Amino acid sequence: MADFLGSRFDQIAFASWQHLSLVVQCLLLATAIAIAVAAVVYRSRPLSSVANTVTAIGLTIPAFALVGLLVAPFGFGVPPALAVVTFFAILPILRNAIVGLTGINQSVVESARGLGMSRSSIFLRVELPLAWPVILGGIRVSAQMVMGIAAIAAYVLGPGLGGFIFSGLSRLGGANSLESVLTGVIGVVVLALLLDLLLVGLGRLTTPRGIRV
Amino acid sequence: MSESAVSRPSTGTISGKSIVLDNVTKQYPGQSSPAVDGVTLEIPAGKIVMLVGPSGCGKTTTLKMINRLIEPTKGRIVLGDEDVTSIGGDELRRRIGYVIQAGGLFPHMTVAANIAIVPKMLGWDKGRIAARVDELLELVSLDPAQYRDRFPKELSGGQQQRVGVARALAADPPVLLMDEPFGAVDPITRQRLQDELLSIQEEVQKTIVIVTHDFDEAVKLGDWIVVFTEGARIVQYDTPERILAEPANAFVENFIGSGAGLKQLTLRRVGEVTLADAVTVHAGEAAASAIEKMERADHNHVVVLDDRERPVQWLSRRQLARLDTLTDVPEDKLPVVGQGATLNDALDTMLVSSAGAALVTGRRDVFLGVITVETVMDAITAARASAAASIGGPVGTNSDAIPTVAPDAPTSAGSSMSQAHDD
Amino acid sequence: MTDAAVEARVTTVGGAATWKGLIVQPAAIAAVLAGFLVWLNLAPLTASERSTLDPASLWGSTLEHLSLTFVAASIVLVIAIPLGVLLTRPALRRLRGPVLFIANFGQAAPAIGMIVLLAMLITSGYWASIVALVIYAALPVLRNTVIGILGVDSSLVEAGRGMGMSAASVLFRVELPLAVPVMLAGIRTALVLLVGAAALAAFVNGGGLGLLITTGVNLYLFSVLISGALLIALLALTIDWLGRVVEHVARPKGL
Repeated sequence: MADFLGSRFDQIAFASWQHLSLVVQCLLLATAIAIAVAAVVYRSRPLSSVANTVTAIGLTIPAFALVGLLVAPFGFGVPPALAVVTFFAILPILRNAIVGLTGINQSVVESARGLGMSRSSIFLRVELPLAWPVILGGIRVSAQMVMGIAAIAAYVLGPGLGGFIFSGLSRLGGANSLESVLTGVIGVVVLALLLDLLLVGLGRLTTPRGIRV
Repeated sequence: MSESAVSRPSTGTISGKSIVLDNVTKQYPGQSSPAVDGVTLEIPAGKIVMLVGPSGCGKTTTLKMINRLIEPTKGRIVLGDEDVTSIGGDELRRRIGYVIQAGGLFPHMTVAANIAIVPKMLGWDKGRIAARVDELLELVSLDPAQYRDRFPKELSGGQQQRVGVARALAADPPVLLMDEPFGAVDPITRQRLQDELLSIQEEVQKTIVIVTHDFDEAVKLGDWIVVFTEGARIVQYDTPERILAEPANAFVENFIGSGAGLKQLTLRRVGEVTLADAVTVHAGEAAASAIEKMERADHNHVVVLDDRERPVQWLSRRQLARLDTLTDVPEDKLPVVGQGATLNDALDTMLVSSAGAALVTGRRDVFLGVITVETVMDAITAARASAAASIGGPVGTNSDAIPTVAPDAPTSAGSSMSQAHDD
Repeated sequence: MTDAAVEARVTTVGGAATWKGLIVQPAAIAAVLAGFLVWLNLAPLTASERSTLDPASLWGSTLEHLSLTFVAASIVLVIAIPLGVLLTRPALRRLRGPVLFIANFGQAAPAIGMIVLLAMLITSGYWASIVALVIYAALPVLRNTVIGILGVDSSLVEAGRGMGMSAASVLFRVELPLAVPVMLAGIRTALVLLVGAAALAAFVNGGGLGLLITTGVNLYLFSVLISGALLIALLALTIDWLGRVVEHVARPKGL
């Protein structure tokens, strides 16, 4: 194992970086999309329930099936990986964003309006900060989930640590196959932990002090 | 409800059993001082004993050691004449009713299923359980046909609490323990539930131990009150009358709060004092004859009764002079109190009415007499005198404390803490 | 724990589907499935596509897929529910954090990696997949069992004990019935995860509908690939629907 790691250190470091970078970029994109969608739907009960149904159904679609489906329009490589990871990343964030935004005490919003704040400044300065811890919770769930999905995306030649798993699989029983798979699995777990810690830290820094638990 | 509570003759015989806590201590591991420190407490059969004290004083711990939800570290518990310190906790608890705040009803079971839990565990047959459920619902004033199959969420807070009491009484246990039973309901419902508990107790005569932090509730419900301070140290164990008349020390005085005199008024009921006479006439009589009656009796008012002897008007000489015939049109804001009302209620009614007195009614609202401010004053003076004179009662001490509580009680508590710290 | 709580809350909100929602979902599934079958019969497929998409073999793959899903799910239930119950008992309270942490790891590990790893240890692709799937899907059931039981109002437990119910009787008659909605939501989540992850069994000859996707990718047969992906998604949605129906029916009355 040590030999394997030593001899392929650069390759592993690069794949890890790619994996993390893919996940983080998709998360950023997904957060932006999810908050935008939530901002549109959260004040309407029917729209919110449609959005909730869509997220619930979206989460039941197997990642591997979607990866397969997206090969048709996107071909192989980075694009389908990006699309699949972003799609799944949006779902928990959107769900939590709606929960967070609708869960805000209405008297707070009312008093903000009483102060003469505009609709958009209420959203940006009152509602979003109050809902942020819940949204961040969704981002953490997303991050953990899409780490594994990104590994599956390697099947359609997406970037990242999944490649080690599939290369081990293709040489099943052969030299270094076990090491290769282990590298992929452990690498993903370590990255997931690392990202979760980062997100927890981000939460501490970005949660308004008055609502920290 | 409160009216019937008093007027109803005591039908039941005492079905409660006495409880004795003998030098009971609870020491939690890792805590320097015991939560309950060597409490010895006699709880007489068929009485309501209130455990009061500030939060964290160990009153709830003391209560829960009676049914061994909390196992005592040391000491004995005797129920009736049986030492129950070492029998199985579950078996013991099936013999002791337990009521908690908000009733603690199981939300996934119907009212009937909730009440049937203990009888089922005791292996009663179905018919007997069903009959018992209905009987208990009647006892707590809920119509069985209407409420039997409801789920707890379909009941109001007060109704849930009543079902909680019914459930605790299901297997007819001699002892009922209640932990802040009326803490979660609104003041009006609380008062009604308290009245109802008193009337149920009139009938069942259980031994009831209630934990509360509300001193007024303790005064209202308790035959005896135990006042605790930190470490479940008993500061005073006495009747409500005596605690109000002669608080053992400044702590108790503080705990009673202001208005001890007014609180004493809540202890006596209108039915217990001598009422003043009144001139009564019936609707339909001529005003002139009423005036004549009034003058003969040297009174200034007459009470007009309807054909069922219920007071409808209370007229002064001047009002009568303007009338021809007396009608039975009920007067607005007629100051009437039931004989079950407390002197406190009566005084309140008097203060509001212009007459400085109130009419008292009995069963079916039949007129009984008049209560005046002087009557109330006399009653209170007599109560204070008799409370001061009465001595004796059940024992309640801490093992290392001097039985009659002296000003140095906190010191002895301090020394016992340091001893307990040794283990 | 907080995310989990939020998740559980959302699952129950979404899971407490109205009857309308419960009817729309199977109708949509049936419509898509019917469309697929029509396409299958009318589309100009090549001989190799037609042989892979032969109805009998599709049905066989579906049964294999269901077998992977439900065998793994049964094992998950047998392990995770008792374990979850044990972790809520006072004596084992201290183990709760560590065990949930390890279970979290199980889910963070990529399912595909776990399947391949276990295939190296176990020769049967089917059983290697089962073991990997169990590790992968244990967390939601374990976590929701713990959350569900801990979520039961402690005063109810005390009321039960105060009436003389034994600890076991309080568990079976009060705590578990009241935890059922949260537990069922966890089981449904696990089943849906399993349907998706079972598609990966194809990589280690474990069978199932995933075979259509790998075949489609390997042989550039897009119609086969899409058929596989579609059938797996429909299966997941169907099982999700069944889960919702069960949740709706099994919810204790009075809650």
